[in-house]
Amino acid sequence: MSTPVVLDPMTLPSDDNVNPYTFCVELKGSQWFLQKGKMIAYYGSMDFQGIGHGRLDRLVRTSFHSPLHASDWVVAEGSGKMLLADRAFDVNSFDLEEGNLTIRSGNLLAFQPSLALKQSIVPGFLTLIGTGKFVAASNGPVVFMEPPIRVDPQALVGWADCPSPCHHYDHGYLTGVMGGIRALTGIGGASGEEHQFEFVGAGTVLLQSSETLMPEQATGAAPQEPGVPGGGGPGGQGAPRLPGQLGDLQRRFGL
Amino acid sequence: MLAVSLAGDAVKAKNGSMVAYDGQVAFKKMSGGGEGIRGMVTRRLTGEQMTVMEVKGHGTCFLADRASEINLVQLQHDTLYVESSNLLCTDAGLRTGTSFTGLRGASQGNGLFTTTVEGTGQAAIVSDGPAVVLRVSPQYPLSVDPGAYIAHQGNVSQSFQSGVNFRTFMGEGSGESFQIRFEGDGLVYVQPSERNTIGGEV
Repeated sequence: MSTPVVLDPMTLPSDDNVNPYTFCVELKGSQWFLQKGKMIAYYGSMDFQGIGHGRLDRLVRTSFHSPLHASDWVVAEGSGKMLLADRAFDVNSFDLEEGNLTIRSGNLLAFQPSLALKQSIVPGFLTLIGTGKFVAASNGPVVFMEPPIRVDPQALVGWADCPSPCHHYDHGYLTGVMGGIRALTGIGGASGEEHQFEFVGAGTVLLQSSETLMPEQATGAAPQEPGVPGGGGPGGQGAPRLPGQLGDLQRRFGL
Repeated sequence: MLAVSLAGDAVKAKNGSMVAYDGQVAFKKMSGGGEGIRGMVTRRLTGEQMTVMEVKGHGTCFLADRASEINLVQLQHDTLYVESSNLLCTDAGLRTGTSFTGLRGASQGNGLFTTTVEGTGQAAIVSDGPAVVLRVSPQYPLSVDPGAYIAHQGNVSQSFQSGVNFRTFMGEGSGESFQIRFEGDGLVYVQPSERNTIGGEV
């Protein structure tokens, strides 16, 4: 146990980590988007505005494209230094340069308005596009991986620049009558690792070093339209079932 | 985890925080925080109860509380203001008491009163994640989220700052509507996590 370092506005880092759990943002008349309730302290004069109509309308229009969860975000503006933290989780900053990054909604903490935030097609994920800095929280340090890779759904934090994440099932383990019983009941031993996300192509995959999920942040529902994943619109039924077909159960048991 | 070496002297620690010890150490529960009848009554009235034990003897005693981080604070004729739930252990030479906090306590959701630790010696406070120590000086006042505040020391005055406007009531609140503003000269301890507070909802 050493005596803690005493920090003041002179010694606080600028746009960098204070310790693995706390991040310091320096504002010089600029603006940052942050998730509600993640600011723990600040020096200087700062103003926190909920996103809605008003004088921030123009900023929101250019760099915030998820009107459906605008109420979870605030804009900080002013000058001074601000400390961000999230439930004592690890916090890290990342730089994007003319890139795109998709991240689990609960993990994103703050970002510069030079980035544009959009809802991802994948439900529960958000995409950042552009150039700038953003801050993300994770349970345990973040690990960067290169595709092709298969990852555990709970360990996935996000991915950058790589297309087509898809589901992968250990097929041999899950087909046939026995496989169906195993998967449904766990009898006969399920390893808990029969299902992964698969990434191919060029890019980076971000993983956290634990399988504890961060509580999900609502991203808002997708528009109710046919063809929108998670939209819940009609038209997803496919062809009508033929008489004698058992449907999902039949497929599950490989009949 | 905090290791306390004892050579015949004593410390006051939160009841039940001992996880291991070696040597000859005795534990004695102190009713009312060891502050006498008056202290006991004040604590009961103010809701800042803490159950404290006296740890005395020769040897090393290990203290811990729910795997949270422990921060040591060195006091020299100084007063530390800390929530009783965040105080783990103090030197026997330090006096503890209660004081009124006003609106800050109300916004944190842990009562209108707080615990003071006075004198010269060391105290240990617990936090969710390692605490960040921030200096408050006359030219640099500091604003802190009530949910992240754990303790402060020195000659600091605190005031309550609210950014509530009509938009808060229209459901467009910023979530950062309440802050405690510290002015003067001293240190403020902040944890990288927020308790659930009434203030954090609006």
